[in-house]
Amino acid sequence: MKYFIYQLRKHPLAIVGIVVILLWIFAAAFGPSMLNYTYTQLDSDHQMARPGENGHILGTDSLGRDILSRIVVGSRSILTVALFTSIVSTLIGILIGFSAGYFGGLTDTIFLRAMDILMAIPPLVLSMVVLGILGDSTIFSLTLIVSIAFVPATARVSRGVLLTEKSQEYVSAARIRGESHFYIMFVEILPNTTGPIIVEATARFAYSIMMVASLGFLGVGLQPPTPDWGMMVIENKPIIAQAPWTVLFPALAIASLVIAISIFSDFVSKVLVHER
Amino acid sequence: MNNFIQIIIRKVGSLLATLLVMSFIIFMLVEIMPGDVAQMILGQSATEESVAALRESRGLNDPVLVRYGRWVVNVIQGDLGESIYMQGVTINSILWRRVGHSLILAFAAFILFVPLSIFFGVLAGVKEKTVTDSIISFFGLATMALPEFVSGVFLISIFAVQMKVFPIVSVIPIGESLFENLDIVILPALSITFVMFGYISRMQRSSMIIVMNSDYIRAATLKGMPRRYVIFRHALKNALLPTITIIGMNMGWLFGGLIVVETLFGFPGMGSLLMTAIKTRDVPLIEACVLLITVIYSVSTMITDLLYSYLNPRVRFAGGQR
Repeated sequence: MKYFIYQLRKHPLAIVGIVVILLWIFAAAFGPSMLNYTYTQLDSDHQMARPGENGHILGTDSLGRDILSRIVVGSRSILTVALFTSIVSTLIGILIGFSAGYFGGLTDTIFLRAMDILMAIPPLVLSMVVLGILGDSTIFSLTLIVSIAFVPATARVSRGVLLTEKSQEYVSAARIRGESHFYIMFVEILPNTTGPIIVEATARFAYSIMMVASLGFLGVGLQPPTPDWGMMVIENKPIIAQAPWTVLFPALAIASLVIAISIFSDFVSKVLVHER
Repeated sequence: MNNFIQIIIRKVGSLLATLLVMSFIIFMLVEIMPGDVAQMILGQSATEESVAALRESRGLNDPVLVRYGRWVVNVIQGDLGESIYMQGVTINSILWRRVGHSLILAFAAFILFVPLSIFFGVLAGVKEKTVTDSIISFFGLATMALPEFVSGVFLISIFAVQMKVFPIVSVIPIGESLFENLDIVILPALSITFVMFGYISRMQRSSMIIVMNSDYIRAATLKGMPRRYVIFRHALKNALLPTITIIGMNMGWLFGGLIVVETLFGFPGMGSLLMTAIKTRDVPLIEACVLLITVIYSVSTMITDLLYSYLNPRVRFAGGQR
């Protein structure tokens, strides 16, 4: 903990990042109950209201829905999906990458071929096509598909760090002791590889936000009435000339969250690399 | 040289396998999912008989494997089939124009972000730990995971809404070609530039720092060579190598970005065509778009690989000896 504070003092920008992330988590948890409009409420007298008009702090969209409350409620789904996605894709990545690297030979070859196939199609295109065909995305399907699209990246990282650890003496020692493969992989090797894996997972978090926001923007994310930041941008794009705030504020929300997480993950990687 | 041909043959083989697996999965996915294209064409009020008749006439009643086989054979002969949703329209007649538009957009973005990110990456790397470096690094960090539509929205509000120098939507008037309306490409291309800039400039910076701290650069500086000469003649050559790989790896993001940006601007490219195809469950059109994106993407990765081994003598000769 002391070390952590010491590092924070050395990277003041990271404090800004962490504060912004905490603010968003706070907004997602308590925000909706603190606002005077709900996210579906139609204020029909104040359509496309300017920010500040009639208590709409960030204005309203063309249907008279409060932008701020839609952004705040939208933060819940995007944070949940992105968090789960980075966790799930990292876990699957560890499982697959470790097994491939550990057993080597045919397992590894099959793994590499399968990853080649998955990587041949850009992750956003892959998730967009699959989610589009499946229709009506839920938090579950969104998390699952985006995680799968990310697995080639996370599995490769895990495989890489395993290969550097595999030749260590403690691994041979455990093997000679007669430990099971599972034990060696996850009890012996895994604790020694947490650094790079945590760095990868936090970077994944930023990309997950980017991906989920883009999928929402393309209309294959969470379906209405759940407000989605990306969807708010494309919904209101036709009125950008008359009511720019309807588009700018959701875009700013995405930008602030993504930039904060990028700063944070950059900080984490600096700290953990420094440790070694 | 033989080795080169061998690599290319192996890559093309794995590409073909990928395409086969990919197209099969998409076919099956559409098959198991609810939603019937015949129903969609005729609308909800259509009678059972007319839906059945339409299904029969489009060959939708055959078993899925038969349809898949027929589709594969046709594609090999260069016939991508007809769109199911848009009646009587062959995919070949709409796809290629759209692909051309997308490639022009991708190319415009490419000639923007490659020199920009390399230049600023080198600048930041040479001036490590100065204000210049901090500003460039922060900007790179900020844009690294910024979705294209967010930067696009900011660009639109500045250049289209406030300054009114570029159009808000990128639509080509009927009867005109893209070349008569090149101004519609600029904002979409700029939006893509941001996210690519973040990643590539950061990589360029770190590889530049590593090279600048190496012995041969120190030797060149101590020999009394002009700094400019050391940076551009000695350091840059080696520092560019990892960047080429990174650019190749990021082509996937570029194609994802194309779809997002095309949707934002209403740009008539391949991405927006794929979007429509997904919404209307037009299997042949989805397949055609995905196939093409995969091919273009794989070919561009292949080119980067070859370029890398061409530029890096260590890889070239090590490969040649085997």
